[in-house]
Amino acid sequence: MSDERSTGRGRGRDKGDKAKGERRSFSRRRRVCKFCAEKIDYINYKDVRQLASFIPERGKLQPRRISGACALHQRKVRTAIARARQLALLPYVTD
Amino acid sequence: MSQERQYELVYIAGPDSSEEQLADLHTQVEQIAARFNGRVEKTENWGKRKLAYEIGRHREGVYVLEHLYGTGEMTKELDRRLKVSDVVIRHLIVRVDEDLAVAERATTERKADQARRRVARGLPPEPDPSERRGDGDDSDGDSVMEDMR
Repeated sequence: MSDERSTGRGRGRDKGDKAKGERRSFSRRRRVCKFCAEKIDYINYKDVRQLASFIPERGKLQPRRISGACALHQRKVRTAIARARQLALLPYVTD
Repeated sequence: MSQERQYELVYIAGPDSSEEQLADLHTQVEQIAARFNGRVEKTENWGKRKLAYEIGRHREGVYVLEHLYGTGEMTKELDRRLKVSDVVIRHLIVRVDEDLAVAERATTERKADQARRRVARGLPPEPDPSERRGDGDDSDGDSVMEDMR
């Protein structure tokens, strides 16, 4: 990113790019998957309390861009929730 | 041909089923398991729980969890019998040995990795309890440092 900026551009453009870049770097945080950080290897379908944090009010699955989980763990969460739903531990829909 | 595997069976009995019926169910499961050279390792009764949604007019159910060892044929038969049963309103059989093995492998791998990194930094492989308050912070800090390098 910084390379591109230094390869000589108009001043006005340069400024704009910088401002954009700064704003971006502000909003972008290093996201760590919750399960990786807490070293949870086995996501249990019987642990309703753990899974509930991945189900917002509506009862739908929380997407990865919001939950911040890595692909592996999101997949595990998904299967665990699917199983819990079958056992009526979690709702399919809530309104 | 058929290998012994580890399963978890959860079934939900109707809320007004008696102790007798539950005991009966349990012995039935045990018998089926025994017939296929399997066994019931452990049984957990979660008691009466509210269902997240109605299942055939029921709002509550008695949850029972059985840890089983046996073959795929055993689960087939269990599945069939539980489907027919009037007492059981819902059941689920899950094979768990693979998932548990994967989880265990991940844990040991991480431990080994942590030990390797600690040795590389000239520390004893196992973190001392007195070293830090939470062990969650430790490896996190490590990985961030490694990323930056």
